[in-house]
Amino acid sequence: MEFAELIKTPRADNVVLHRPFHLAVEGTLCLTGHHLIFSSRRKDNTEELWLLHSNIDSIEKRFVGSLGTIVIRCKDLRIIQLDIPGMEECLNIASSIEALSTLDSVTLMYPFFYRPMFEVLEDGWSSFLLEQEFELLSSVTNEWRLSCVNKEFSVCPSYPPLVIVPKSVDDEALRKVALFRQGGRFPVLSYYHKKNGMAMMRSSQPLTGTNGRRCKEDEKLVNATLRSGRRGFVIDTRPLTVAQQARAKGGGFEQEVHYPQWRRIHKCIERFNILQESFIKLVEACNDQSHNMDRWLSKLEASNWLTHIKELLTAACLAAQCIDREGASVLVHGSEGTDSTLQVTSLAQIILDPRCRTIRGFEALVVREWLQAGHPFQQRCAQSAYSNSKQKWEAPVFLLFLECVWQIHRQFPCSFEFNEHFLILLFEHAYASQFGTFLGNNESERAKLKLPQKTMSLWSWVNRPEELSRFQNPLYEANSLVIWPSVAPQSLQLWEGVFLRWNRTSRFLEEAEEERIHIIKYNKELQAKVNALRRQLAEMETDGEVQQDGP
Amino acid sequence: MEFSELIKTATVEDVLLSRQGLPDVRGTLCITSHHLLLSSRPRGDLELWLLIRNVDAVEKRVCGSSGSITLRCKDLKVLQLEIPGTEECLNVASSIEALSSVDSVMMLYPFFHRPPSLRLRQGWHPCAPERLFQQLAAQTSRWRLSAVNRDFSACPSYPPAVIVPAAVADDTVAKAARFRQGGRFPVLSYFHAKNGTALLRSSQPLPGPKRRRCLEDEQLLGTVVAEGEDNATTPLSPCRGRPLQESFARLVEACGEPAPSVERWLGRLDSSRWLGHVKAALSTACLAAQCLDREGCSVLVHGAEGTDTTLLVTALAQLILQPACRTLEGFQALLEREWIQVRVVFVMWRRVRVPAHLGALTQPPHGQAGHPFQLRCARSAASPARGKREAPVFLLFLDCVWQLSRQFPFSLEFGEQLLLTLFDNAYASAYGTFLCNSEKERRLCRLRERTPSLWARLEQPEEKHKYLNPLYSHNPLPLWPCGQPQGIQLWHAIPVPERRAQLRPAPSLAGFFLRWIRPCRHLDEAWEEMRRLVQGDKSSLEEGEGKGRAGPSPRLGHGTHAETGTGQGPGVGLG
Repeated sequence: MEFAELIKTPRADNVVLHRPFHLAVEGTLCLTGHHLIFSSRRKDNTEELWLLHSNIDSIEKRFVGSLGTIVIRCKDLRIIQLDIPGMEECLNIASSIEALSTLDSVTLMYPFFYRPMFEVLEDGWSSFLLEQEFELLSSVTNEWRLSCVNKEFSVCPSYPPLVIVPKSVDDEALRKVALFRQGGRFPVLSYYHKKNGMAMMRSSQPLTGTNGRRCKEDEKLVNATLRSGRRGFVIDTRPLTVAQQARAKGGGFEQEVHYPQWRRIHKCIERFNILQESFIKLVEACNDQSHNMDRWLSKLEASNWLTHIKELLTAACLAAQCIDREGASVLVHGSEGTDSTLQVTSLAQIILDPRCRTIRGFEALVVREWLQAGHPFQQRCAQSAYSNSKQKWEAPVFLLFLECVWQIHRQFPCSFEFNEHFLILLFEHAYASQFGTFLGNNESERAKLKLPQKTMSLWSWVNRPEELSRFQNPLYEANSLVIWPSVAPQSLQLWEGVFLRWNRTSRFLEEAEEERIHIIKYNKELQAKVNALRRQLAEMETDGEVQQDGP
Repeated sequence: MEFSELIKTATVEDVLLSRQGLPDVRGTLCITSHHLLLSSRPRGDLELWLLIRNVDAVEKRVCGSSGSITLRCKDLKVLQLEIPGTEECLNVASSIEALSSVDSVMMLYPFFHRPPSLRLRQGWHPCAPERLFQQLAAQTSRWRLSAVNRDFSACPSYPPAVIVPAAVADDTVAKAARFRQGGRFPVLSYFHAKNGTALLRSSQPLPGPKRRRCLEDEQLLGTVVAEGEDNATTPLSPCRGRPLQESFARLVEACGEPAPSVERWLGRLDSSRWLGHVKAALSTACLAAQCLDREGCSVLVHGAEGTDTTLLVTALAQLILQPACRTLEGFQALLEREWIQVRVVFVMWRRVRVPAHLGALTQPPHGQAGHPFQLRCARSAASPARGKREAPVFLLFLDCVWQLSRQFPFSLEFGEQLLLTLFDNAYASAYGTFLCNSEKERRLCRLRERTPSLWARLEQPEEKHKYLNPLYSHNPLPLWPCGQPQGIQLWHAIPVPERRAQLRPAPSLAGFFLRWIRPCRHLDEAWEEMRRLVQGDKSSLEEGEGKGRAGPSPRLGHGTHAETGTGQGPGVGLG
């Protein structure tokens, strides 16, 4: 297929662009295979807008006489409006945008065509390898091993080729366990808590079915993480009733009789359409123009978004508490183990592990716990809050995770090396990007698409010093502690940076942020000066003493 | 009356003090005429130093041979005291109750408080109109300072000096005064130098059943208004006192609920209607400011009983329009002018005529000048609408200013800390600034001579820096606030670099309403861990300094921060 076939009108003049909080601008609109480009020709103020077609969530067209209007709603929640003179031009452009923003084939996506204008200092595709992670682990414990049982993706299609498992369990046992867990997702190590040697594992649900099937190897595998005489906790992200119902479909949960050393705790973390609907309702509430406080608050409440945040944070705190406070190992799973499971394990690591609060550590966390762990990004992020299609597999699972990180960040503003912009960046790129990082649903698909060879990694770009500086939190001071966030509703807040980003004047807030950064830098300089002077003084004092003591 | 009569038990041993977010302390409780003190037992550290006036409600429970007292403070803090001995407990409770509700102004702490670094009379500024006129005279000659009220004969509730149009003679003013309720003839509140429009205030006219006119009154207003302006009035419905007090009480109750679900919290936040009041006040102020700035109309603000929120509208309108009000000094002057010295109420008006139905709606104002702080701030959120006269109008104003400061982080010279301090002092203070209900009362009590001024304290250099906004830069433009409900937030803290936020685990949770509440046990644990960490840092600092003598130590830099942190001590909350 040629893109040119889809573009009937590649260019239109005298188009007027409307954006909230900006004056309307007249200019030229161009369509290319992957971008919608608007450029204004005014001499005093040239303005260009580049929009990826894949960022477009929905479009709507209206006509008044021969003047057509296209309203474009983007996946990053922005809404823009284009007034296009000429009915035919407008219809052509609208249908081209529609076609180009809903391309089926992954290989036609922009990352396969994007050629970076920057020098690649470090290939992001090989920045975060599990081997390095394992090396770090083996410096503190020898209870674990790196298994390549899934080398051909034959044991579990949604797992990476390499996984970390207890040393005492061999590959043969792993193959058997994989048959007992949905989608072959056998329990693997997610996080090792150095402080007390406790482990957090994740998996999918066991396939016990109605007749209570068991698997000795599975029991042996999970028990291998326990210290003698200690208990472990299974955190099931589904309520008990849902877990029980799952048995009818062949799923189930770990039964006490077969797992006597494990205590099961059920949580309720919503997924799929419930989450997606909540997202849609929230965004609708944020865009409400009725200027009515009651209406806003009741819509915010009705969206249930903050409830999802609270539930998720609570479950993550629970997992972290089991590990850090109770000194117990933890196994986390829901049904498939690719959504709420990953939310809980990754957030628990943010709470427990100071390394995950650095930029690089957070990138590693996203790679390890989301990309390699097989969160189906392509399915979940195919559409955002403005989509009309009610397909079952779209859900803002990753966005919810990012927002929870933001909530913790807000409560501990000095404990994170990155700033809010970094989280927003990840949200944007998960939904539409020039980089290949978030394409595909798991490592196996990525390997088949040859993404590392054919596309650029987001990390190659982000980790360049000039980009990194934009994402650094000026308040950061390494905090080696476990940080316990408050989960009370009074301390939760809507993430304005994402949800109200396009309908408020954020200029002042951004300037303020810059000014803060400036002040902090200046403070640090002064501090350095003070230290130097103190040192000098100390040296002079000792010199003076020497002289006095002397002749 | 002697204080000693009210204090039945002055000291009790072995009292257990519990506060939100802080570890329990056991020690000796002392009651003095104005303070409640608790010193911890083994070490004698002073753990509590509470102005008794700050106590809003006392709840006592006796069980067996001991009792417990819960003190709800006006600044929303909640303290619990476990007192051994039933009699002691009841005595302590009734002493606190009596001392916290002493009627006589002259018995209040400001009359006894003599801070060593302040002189009395310092910080008591000359009459506001005179100060305003000094600035005004530089901009226009259309106004003059009139001494028509020097013996309070024209209007007993006005200050002796008032600003009136230059073209109007004193006897005209005196006649106009007779046409207005309580003699409160139209005077200048704010002159918008950009286009020469004016914000005036007065009381309602007295046309009576015969639709009486007063040529002098019309003449007075006529000189202000340019020809050809439209005649529309804008109906406004600022919230009245009692619903506001209820709203405040409901919100505070919701904030204190231990573990609500999100739905319940948002539902209670919604049903408190507080954010709605904030939004209404801001948009009304915006409207008044727009009339002046955009439409070039003069605005007259005048009175109807109870609608105190209108006060904050005139003050907010000035904050929106006038950069001078946004400095620390300018804000103080604004408070003096609009809140402390003159009480106004609000009806929009864009020409001479006030529609008749408004005359019917309005009721006579109390014969007071200034916001009646003593009446309005007698009780806080713990006593919902006990009296009709209490209303957190001033708090609503401070909240609106906070919203402005959040939306325009550069444009106000002062920070959140000032707003919190002003609230605390309006409700219970060691200073005389917010005492009494009118200028007349203030003169009778001789506040200037006998009490220290809060402004004097705020102006001390070591105090002043706490209240400044490090991001401030002069902004000559009006600040048009966002009126969308999505843009209005519950008052929470904005982290600023100086606050060394990492030593206080969750400064962003605090703000006004949640400042004493750290709702989660996790945070307390984190707080403890932080404290340990900071102390660890401190000891390594001391070590570092030891080394510093021998040679350079790279740890010094970090240690200095830690030291500032521990210097505050664990007793400092999040606020």
